[in-house]
Amino acid sequence: MSDREIFRGLFELIGYMLTSARGLVNEPPIYGPFRLVDGVSRLCTLLENETSQYKDFFSMIKKKIDEKKFTVITDEATFIGMIDEVVLDYTKRLKKT
Amino acid sequence: MELKKAILERRSIRAFSEKPIEKNLLEEILRAGIYSPSAGNIQSWAFFCVMNPKSVHNIITVSPGIVSSPVAIICICSDQDRAFSRAGKGGTILVLMDCAMAAQNIMLRAFDLGIGSCVIRSFNQDAIREILGAPEHFLPELLVTLGYPAQKPSAPPRRQDVIFWEEYKESKNE
Repeated sequence: MSDREIFRGLFELIGYMLTSARGLVNEPPIYGPFRLVDGVSRLCTLLENETSQYKDFFSMIKKKIDEKKFTVITDEATFIGMIDEVVLDYTKRLKKT
Repeated sequence: MELKKAILERRSIRAFSEKPIEKNLLEEILRAGIYSPSAGNIQSWAFFCVMNPKSVHNIITVSPGIVSSPVAIICICSDQDRAFSRAGKGGTILVLMDCAMAAQNIMLRAFDLGIGSCVIRSFNQDAIREILGAPEHFLPELLVTLGYPAQKPSAPPRRQDVIFWEEYKESKNE
C-alpha cells in the first residue's frame, strides 16, 4: 500500500470514528465496544502490509477480530471473550517490546 | 419464488461479491419499495439508488453500520414536509414505519432476484444527505446495502415466547 493510500485510509477511518461517536449517542451500548474493535481491525488493515516489527501482530489481531466481531449481534459472550483474548495478545506483545 | 421461502430464508448479508447488479434488477427492487403500504397512502418517502463506486464508498465512510462492500445502496428517506403537511406531527412518526415496510419489500424482492441485502440504521443522517445532495426535508432513515452474496449465513434462533394467542400469559421460561 502506498503512503497516499494509507493516508486516504486514515482519512476515511476518521470518518468512521467521527460518525461512530455521533451515532453511539443513541445506539445500544454494546455497539461501542464493537465500533472500537472494528476500528482496530480497520487500522490493522492499513498497517499490516507495512514493513515493521508489528506486521505479524497487526495481521493476527485483525484476523481474530474479524472472525468473531459479528457475534456481537448473536452471541455477546463470545464477542466479549474475543476482546478479552486480543487484549491479552496485545499485552503479551507489549511486554516483549 | 414462493413468498414463504423469501420470508424464511432471507438473511442479512455482510459479504458481497464484486459483481455489479444490472440496472433493470435495481429498478425491479425499487418498484417493490414504492409498492409498500404507507399510512393514509401518503407515500412520504424518497428512494435514492447509488451505484457509482465513489459515492458508494463515501456513503460507507460515514456509515459505521456498513461493514461490507456493497455494489449498490438504496437510501430510503422520509419526506418530512409531505408527512407533516398531510398528517401533522403524527405523520412524521408514521413515515418511519412506512420506510421500514418499504425496506422489507426491497429486501424480499432483492432476495427473490438472488441479490443479498442488509438494512442499516447506523449512519450519519446529515452526512448522507450531504453526499446525496438531498434537500433538508428529506431525512435519510434507512440504508439497504445490496450485492450478490458471498456468504450464506444461518438463521439465528427466533424467540418463540413473543407470540400470544388471544391474551397475555406469563412465559414459563422467563
